[in-house]
Amino acid sequence: ACADGLESLENFVKTVKSGRADFTQVVTSPPKEGQAVRSKTSTGTFEFQRPSRFRFIYKKPFEQSIVADGQTLWLYDADLNQVTARRQSQVLGSTPAALIASAPDLRALQADFALQAAPDKDGLQWVVATPKAKDGQLQNVRIGFKAGDELAALEILDSFGQRSVMSFTKVEVNPSLPAENFQFKPPAGADVVRQ
Amino acid sequence: CANPRLLQRDTPEAFWSGRLALQVEDASAQSFSAGFELKGSARQGELALFTPLGGTLAVLSWQPGSAQMQADGKTRSFDSIDALVQQATGSVIPVAALFDWLAGRDTAVPGWRADLSRLADGRVQAHRSDPLPAADLRVVLER
Repeated sequence: ACADGLESLENFVKTVKSGRADFTQVVTSPPKEGQAVRSKTSTGTFEFQRPSRFRFIYKKPFEQSIVADGQTLWLYDADLNQVTARRQSQVLGSTPAALIASAPDLRALQADFALQAAPDKDGLQWVVATPKAKDGQLQNVRIGFKAGDELAALEILDSFGQRSVMSFTKVEVNPSLPAENFQFKPPAGADVVRQ
Repeated sequence: CANPRLLQRDTPEAFWSGRLALQVEDASAQSFSAGFELKGSARQGELALFTPLGGTLAVLSWQPGSAQMQADGKTRSFDSIDALVQQATGSVIPVAALFDWLAGRDTAVPGWRADLSRLADGRVQAHRSDPLPAADLRVVLER
């Protein structure tokens, strides 16, 4: 059967309990008259372990890690030497990462997002997730799957029209990931900010 | 004699992008870090703040006599950029001086001491001793 994006997402949430991939992220500024559109590219690795742990390790052009250990979302910026720690429950609900990594099932996702299959594009099957919270930072998130519900892309359109496209390669489905991958210990000497 | 700095001069259209962090001593609530894009000039310009994953947190813009902040689907107006930044970040940050500091001009700001020694590596730091609590502003420019 030709699964559409929604079925792929449902299978993905149900059967893919953990994952690892390399990512390339291109963030494009909103089009404004008289201003050239600017875009920034960064690369790194993404790992997740349901139900609510994930990490984005940015390598280029600068070192930054975002680790969700299940309770706390840690952000570490090496150049700024600062760690910010926030309670996951406070932050996660309507962020794109929640879509991929932490929702235990589709119904949980639908608490925060309206989900709709979208037409195939670029050889991928798509789902559009629109946050239910109206004044949030997100307009919508599009999730792209290769055949066989392999996660391929995440497109985030924020409320200012800034678009962030994250493409995944070298995707591993259900790898066994060491628990410490999702634990974060602030480096010595870094300023830690708890909010 | 007139201080040349007070003469109205329209600085060229500037554009900087990178990340900034404010570390406020024993007041975690006011400390934060964000990606940013700063453009225009102290007289008229815009400061956009971003989340680590590339989403826009807020867009602050100003022109002579007024300043606005767009965030969470709302636009709020202020009569000055300093009032706006204090509201947006809960802290005093001299955005006007930032244009000079990032351009390598060590403009003096009461209560602040800027360190431009590593500007060649795209790094600027400034320490605020007044108003208290003391705070450190760190800026890293993208190459």
